[in-house]
Amino acid sequence: MDRAQRSLFSEEWGSDPEPDEPGPAAPRRHVLEVGELAAIIDDLLLDERLIECFVRGEVTNFRRHASGHCYFSLSEERDGENAVIPCVIWRRDAQRLRHGLEDGQTVIAFGSVAHYAAGGRYQFYVREAEQAGIGEKFIQVERWRCDLGAEGCFQEFRKKDLPRYPARIGVVTSPTGAVLHDIVNVLTRRFPVELVLSPTAVQGDGAELEIAAAIRRIDGRVDVIIVARGGGAFEDLYAFNHPEVVRAVVACTTPIVSAVGHEVDVTLCDLAADLRAPTPSAAAELVAPDRAVLLEELRQARRHLADLLHDRWERADDEVRELRDRLRPGRLAFRIDRRREELAELDGRLARGRDRALERRRSELSGLAAVVRARSPFAPLARGYALVERNGSLVRAAGVLEQGALVTARFGRGRARLRVEEVCDDEDV
Amino acid sequence: MTKTYEELVTELRDVVRQLEDDRTGLDECIQLYERGAILVRLCEELLTTAEMKICELGRD
Repeated sequence: MDRAQRSLFSEEWGSDPEPDEPGPAAPRRHVLEVGELAAIIDDLLLDERLIECFVRGEVTNFRRHASGHCYFSLSEERDGENAVIPCVIWRRDAQRLRHGLEDGQTVIAFGSVAHYAAGGRYQFYVREAEQAGIGEKFIQVERWRCDLGAEGCFQEFRKKDLPRYPARIGVVTSPTGAVLHDIVNVLTRRFPVELVLSPTAVQGDGAELEIAAAIRRIDGRVDVIIVARGGGAFEDLYAFNHPEVVRAVVACTTPIVSAVGHEVDVTLCDLAADLRAPTPSAAAELVAPDRAVLLEELRQARRHLADLLHDRWERADDEVRELRDRLRPGRLAFRIDRRREELAELDGRLARGRDRALERRRSELSGLAAVVRARSPFAPLARGYALVERNGSLVRAAGVLEQGALVTARFGRGRARLRVEEVCDDEDV
Repeated sequence: MTKTYEELVTELRDVVRQLEDDRTGLDECIQLYERGAILVRLCEELLTTAEMKICELGRD
């Protein structure tokens, strides 16, 4: 039996594969669970060519579900070959579509391919779709966005601040139409200034050149520029996406506010401008301060000035009062009295010091005198002894005297002349 | 040469800042206050008497 025709589930299945027949089609022995297989498919579809891409095709089988989600197919028939891809567009994205989709339309859709594992199919998840002619323009705008972005046209850091109180406001817009009227109205109400219009066509062939020229013409002649256009379809705003306009905005030395279309429309001109306003009227409000608010600020400034001057005057007054207090005569007398007291105290201390010094010397002297007195040869005389002298010499023994000798006796007090009656030489005291 | 609102308001802010400075002398404060009051009045006049003027640049 031919091996290729043999059922994979014949008894050979599960047995060792024959080593000489491993071929690329050889079945693997591992059995995948469905979820595993789905995961592999998911993984394979993560290809950047399938993510966020544009697809052109004819809408077929369009149906809108009650939930708001829309299902359809995009198909192409070429050389008799038919190619179809199922598409889904979720309610939120469907609501944002500018034109409803219907069978037979040729559209350009933007989205990503993904695998819907629960339904077992791959689908194109559409985020945006446009009729083919317009779709081309969308793609062109996307291309410009990338190129101009790479040039640095949308970088925040080079954006200029608007002047707070512009005296001349330039407006680049159509000289006819509601836009200029709206801007004039808002400015008249908020902060009347000199308005300079740089007129231009805002749509149609060559409008981008006119707009760019109008911007260049007014640059440097005013304090701030508003580039504005009323709401319109994507094609109507197309000129404001053109690189001519974007580069003119970037090159402009005067700060520019861009207000093109309604709030939901964002043009490249809006992205390049120093500030984007949702509408032309809003642009006028952003550019000019409100006069009523300024007048209130001035009233506050006037009050503040008066308060400041009053505070300063009060501080000066306090200073003078304090100085006057410090200069009062009483304060001076008090200071003199205090000096006097100090002087008296010093005087007292001087006297006390002197007395103490005298006293010390006195007691020192009397101590010395006592010592001297104690050592005096005459000291014993006070205790009743007497000294006997003969012809100025001390008599130390009775033997030197003879009866009838004349001697002098010194006492503690006074002296006497004595005549010797008897001499006893043999007795000691 | 009449000054713009911006110039007047800038000067007014400067006057207030000097007046707020404690080191400013009293004489100077009085002069600053007088100048400030004039600036406030000029600003108010500019705002209340301003009128919309519109002109159009010629195309090439």
